[in-house]
Amino acid sequence: MTIRRRVPIRLVALALASVLVPAAAVAGPAQFVIVNINAPGVGFNDPTPAAPVGGNTGTTLGEQRLIAFQHAAAIWSARLDSAVPIRIRAQFTALAPNVLGSAGPTQVFRDFTNAPLAGTWYHVALANKLAGVDLSPATDDINANFSTNFNFYLGLDNNHGALNDLVAVLLHEFAHGLGFSQTASLATGALLGGFPDHYNTKLLDTTLGLHWPQMTNAQRLESATRFGRVVFDGVGVTAAVPVVLSLGSPTVDVNSPASIAGGYQFGTAAFGPRIGDPSVTANIVEAVDAVEGGVIGATPTDGCSAFTNAAAIAGQIALIERGQCGFAVKARNATQAGAAAVIIYNNNTAANANAAPPGMAGDGINDAFVTVPTVSLRRADALAIVAQLGGGVNADIGIDLAVRAGADALGRARVYAPFPVAGGSSISHYDTVASRNLLMEPAINPDLTHNVKAPFDMTWELLHDVGWTFPDADGDTFPDDEDCNAASDVRPTIILNGRDTGVPNRGLGAGCTMTDTLVALKAASGPNHGDFVSAVAHVTNQWKAAGLITGAQKAAIQVTAAKWR
Amino acid sequence: MTRQRVLAALAAVVVAIVAIAGPAGAAAPKKFKATRAFVVDRQSGTLRMPTPAEVDAVVTTLTALGQQPAERLTSTPAANGAVGMDLAGGFAGVLLARPNDDGSWETRCVFTVEEGAEFLGLVEDVQ
Repeated sequence: MTIRRRVPIRLVALALASVLVPAAAVAGPAQFVIVNINAPGVGFNDPTPAAPVGGNTGTTLGEQRLIAFQHAAAIWSARLDSAVPIRIRAQFTALAPNVLGSAGPTQVFRDFTNAPLAGTWYHVALANKLAGVDLSPATDDINANFSTNFNFYLGLDNNHGALNDLVAVLLHEFAHGLGFSQTASLATGALLGGFPDHYNTKLLDTTLGLHWPQMTNAQRLESATRFGRVVFDGVGVTAAVPVVLSLGSPTVDVNSPASIAGGYQFGTAAFGPRIGDPSVTANIVEAVDAVEGGVIGATPTDGCSAFTNAAAIAGQIALIERGQCGFAVKARNATQAGAAAVIIYNNNTAANANAAPPGMAGDGINDAFVTVPTVSLRRADALAIVAQLGGGVNADIGIDLAVRAGADALGRARVYAPFPVAGGSSISHYDTVASRNLLMEPAINPDLTHNVKAPFDMTWELLHDVGWTFPDADGDTFPDDEDCNAASDVRPTIILNGRDTGVPNRGLGAGCTMTDTLVALKAASGPNHGDFVSAVAHVTNQWKAAGLITGAQKAAIQVTAAKWR
Repeated sequence: MTRQRVLAALAAVVVAIVAIAGPAGAAAPKKFKATRAFVVDRQSGTLRMPTPAEVDAVVTTLTALGQQPAERLTSTPAANGAVGMDLAGGFAGVLLARPNDDGSWETRCVFTVEEGAEFLGLVEDVQ
């Protein structure tokens, strides 16, 4: 019998993580209802024949669309619980060119029975789940519209090639509808109707040290563009960060003086070495060059000709103003002056003064002469640096190997907060610097999996933090899809074949209890009672050695097991 | 594509948008114009500039689906002291795509007309 070799190895591992079995709180997978509002012959009802693709067995275009919807809903259903069905009002219809589709909550509710936070909006599907009743039975919870004009990949296997994977798109948009979005205005900073929501209560501005509901409208507006300094500080997401995000965050960090220290939003160059190749720590020095005669607008800080302060630039980070010549020309001049890295910041034109740090294209001529990393900054950030240059400004440009890409230095997940603000998608997504790529970044990246939780993703963790719970049939706090036994015997004492041993039935980690283990041994040993008794002896010896049971309790279990024929 | 077919297609888009948006009441959307090619022509498969009508359709769609100004939304009492707010079809993430040179697509989930316009290279037509 293999049982004598195999079972004890497993139990050693289980015994290492002993937890008490909690009181049961039975919950079940949320039921998603796709409410097909398409007319006959179109959208979900399109009869155009289609060959099955990637596990999608539909034989018409309409069937395949519906199956993809149901598949995405099923992925969420397996990971969220609710006693109230989640109704998605859905259609495929002719949308404008390049509009793939949309989904979002139809309503929000606050101050309902069982609301975790008073005076706080919750998306309706979440509010229903928390309330335990349908707060708006006549209304669907999520509104979804997708385009008939766009050629989605309709397979279920994520093998989408160059096409856009409909399942990944749906997982993303459904998550917005389930609660992955905030409702404060990014035009005025005002809270919706004067109340915060389930999401923005966990948005922490690390510069101000305030959560969004604690801020004034003006502070929220400013916070929304504080790149890298707005984090979602829910405990589940924070716990997932080290499991999901990789170490090594590209960064432009001012080290000193303290008044301007911190990370800055930056753009990258299409020429020269990548940021981090090598990482540079040096002082920032403003480049000075001759004002080119006959060039309107030429300045001594535009870096368009040889630097006159090359000795001061050598080995340092050259700071250059945008304009008058190409980015690569400036970076080449800085390289020639011996700079270790280059910062080019937006100049004071109508188009650039308040613009995001630009992505910097090369010119095909000067690119090859640039041998140091080059980044760009927005103008306001650079002027703050310029104002401190008299006292010395020290900065890092490179890869911070101590920080995870997509998290801050304290390991909290960054949300998308670019400058200038990106309408509603700022804040309601994870930061685009995240690595690995996350489902809830603003873009649907082609390397996404269909997994929505750690170690692949952190969407589920955020939804959990805002109030969703997971299907947990046995109430042992282990989600069913992670539970080594989703139907554990969680009775307080070990009961074998109706005989109560009186021994506390402890959890062994991973969602299994002692009783589960003994029952599994019985099943594995089949009719061979001797094997079963022997395996029980082995296991209970290990439990005793691990301090989980006493000698008397071990004996009680073994005696009871011996009677189980 | 004939002019009639183009008009018919655009009419279908407008009908769909009206159906999505439900009752209107919003101010007329800003006028935008395109600065880059982002439409893949369905007949030729080539990349081309959007027509003014297509730009209008994009803007109208984004206006209908995206985040609604909060001042248009009103809260209403619900059972047991709860308060609800109908989001008027808005507050949805809208997924846009623009083609890359290699035939792949870059996507962006936006919530407002302005974000979508920036992504697709539309600028306000002030004339």
